[in-house]
Amino acid sequence: MCQKNGISNGSFYKQPFTEHFEQAPLYVAVFTYVGFTVGTIFGYLKDFLRACGIQKCPFAIEREEQKDFVPLYQDFENFYTRNLYIRIRDNWNRPICSVPGPQFDLMERVTDDNNWTFRFTGRTIKNVINMGSYNYLGFAETDANALKTVADDLQKYGTGVCSTRQEMGNLDKHIELENLVAQFLGVEDALVFGMGFATNSMNIPALVGRGCLILSDELNHTSLVLGARLSGATIRVFKHNNMQSLEKLLRDAIVYGQPRNHRAWRKILILVEGIYSMEGSIVRLPEVVALKKKYKAYLYLDEAHSIGAVGPTGRGVVEYFGMDPDDVDVLMGTFTKSFGAAGGYIAGRKELMDFLRTHSHSSVYATSMCPPVAEQIVRAMKCVMGLDGTTKGLQRVQQLRKNTRYFRQRLHEMGFIIYGNDDSPVVPLLLYIPGKIAAFARCMLEKNIGVVVVGFPATPITESRARFCVSAAHTREMLDTVLNALDELGDFLQLKYSRNSKSSRPELYDKTSFELED
Amino acid sequence: MPGRRGRRWDGAVRCCVVSCCESCRGRGRPLVSSPGPGGAVSELRGPEDHTWNWTFLSKGRGSDVISVIKQFQVCLASVGANMNVGTAHSEVNPNTRVMNSRGIWLSYVLGIGLLHVVLLSIPFFSVPVVWTLTNIIHNMSMYIFLHTVKGTPFETPDQGKARLLTHWEQMDYGVQFTASRKFLTIMPIVLYFLTSFYTKYDRIHFIINTISLMSVLIPKLPQLHGVRIFGINKY
Repeated sequence: MCQKNGISNGSFYKQPFTEHFEQAPLYVAVFTYVGFTVGTIFGYLKDFLRACGIQKCPFAIEREEQKDFVPLYQDFENFYTRNLYIRIRDNWNRPICSVPGPQFDLMERVTDDNNWTFRFTGRTIKNVINMGSYNYLGFAETDANALKTVADDLQKYGTGVCSTRQEMGNLDKHIELENLVAQFLGVEDALVFGMGFATNSMNIPALVGRGCLILSDELNHTSLVLGARLSGATIRVFKHNNMQSLEKLLRDAIVYGQPRNHRAWRKILILVEGIYSMEGSIVRLPEVVALKKKYKAYLYLDEAHSIGAVGPTGRGVVEYFGMDPDDVDVLMGTFTKSFGAAGGYIAGRKELMDFLRTHSHSSVYATSMCPPVAEQIVRAMKCVMGLDGTTKGLQRVQQLRKNTRYFRQRLHEMGFIIYGNDDSPVVPLLLYIPGKIAAFARCMLEKNIGVVVVGFPATPITESRARFCVSAAHTREMLDTVLNALDELGDFLQLKYSRNSKSSRPELYDKTSFELED
Repeated sequence: MPGRRGRRWDGAVRCCVVSCCESCRGRGRPLVSSPGPGGAVSELRGPEDHTWNWTFLSKGRGSDVISVIKQFQVCLASVGANMNVGTAHSEVNPNTRVMNSRGIWLSYVLGIGLLHVVLLSIPFFSVPVVWTLTNIIHNMSMYIFLHTVKGTPFETPDQGKARLLTHWEQMDYGVQFTASRKFLTIMPIVLYFLTSFYTKYDRIHFIINTISLMSVLIPKLPQLHGVRIFGINKY
């Protein structure tokens, strides 16, 4: 689906909403399957050779005396890991030895036995450009001046709280942070938790239960899926960002009610994310809110990637679309991505927060956020809001927006297939063919750029991709280095599949007169 | 939703845990789980000498903590070993969607074409023999990969619900008569027609091809979903 002319449901959107999900030509899909087939055949061949004893078996196998017992593990479940993943394993989990800012230092490692074991050579690869970390506003830094308050709080409060919010773990730091988060988002109250994943998985069960309906987007994160399953509610999945699918599900739910007894659902909760990190797409929030109001459902918005990263002042998708935060019933987000800390928050009306304080598993049983991390979030948020007296935060937000636009525009011009919204700092670049996953990551590392690549089964089988995360801390030179490297690599590996690329530099004919050549 | 059978997310999220009778328990047979009462499509029938007790465990409040811990372990275990970097796991079993992906039907037909061309290039096979060989090899491969190999080649976040299911049974989470299932049923039939034509309806070729076709069509019947005859290939 290419860029549309004009906007559907145009009255909802105050600015153009352009998303791209271009499909590659069909021969690319055929080659992808050929790649996986060849990999599978060689996988079976290597398994056979290892079973015969012709090749050494470097992984754990059963002892002789255990072979008569029922096996504990199914070795077919490990097929993909040992035959496809291990062969290209050197592209993931690379150890770094500096803070993961816009550049980091990588520990060089080599393997003598085809990636079964690694050893460090002792050398460090310095200043590798970091295109993989979720560092949208560039707060992953070690500037001693900026972190002074964090260091002071570390001395004052210690490292851990060792108690739950309800018992002895409610410090003044948490209250300060919660008030600040509520002020940042423009809502009545907020609640913070020590872990972002646990925020979703522990709070959704407190909000909905048996007899309720959850309408969850196809590509929701594991934490949302886990929270939904733990709640015991009925879960129905609508197609990714597809408002017709969501409306149909809502209508069917209200008309037919619960599956057996056709009573009305107790609650209907719509679970969406602000930015989907695998696709780079932004939720169609105005339409979702309109649907929610029409059918009287509740909305839970997970802004893990979008808080701090979109919006004119960094307040997330609600501000990006110019909407009222009161329209969203439960605003959730994490501090991991844009604020350089850890943990998550839930924000909304005061009654809801007071309810969650007593009924959420996290508040009652989990330890609260540790104070130095809370102080880091406080200082980062104050910087973004401008409460520290400078405009540095706003500059970061604007720099991120400029970087995002520039990066995406250049990649489109070069002819790569990029997914997602033009304003999303997550940029998935499609690689398709499994052999190119490893080739891309290794070649980029040789050019001193660190990228994240993902393939099947994390993505659909034909859509392996490299995912870039643009940061406010990236300078124009760094982005240009990356883009030039991508240009070369795109020609070398033949990754420029796009058939819609528009060039910003049309060919200039420098002839002033044209003559027919005989 | 009315009219839909076996959709994973429909109905209440409840686990049915089949617990073996006492004589099975000692031998460490694995516990088998199947989807909830919305459409119990994968009925794995026990061997003839044992009876299976169906125990329905619904996810009540009491089992929350245990299920939380188990789910966390599964999620943490699956993060370390493979490429699941911050991924969306709404699709608990990606194997179910492989046959619906873009371009796979074309690749399948091209694969059969390639096999046929390779066989045709062997000098001492006549055309009828080549067609029969194509038919047999195609049906044997289909039987092995769709109806014999069970489970998934990667760990799924649903704690192995599909471990005892063949790929055919996993397709579209057990929903019958989807587009891919119809395609994969029709392909061997089309190949059979072509083979019968090119072998000029010779008796020996006919017998061989028909037996081969039956071997690949019968497992696709919806009545045989999850059925293991004589306990062959059950575990």
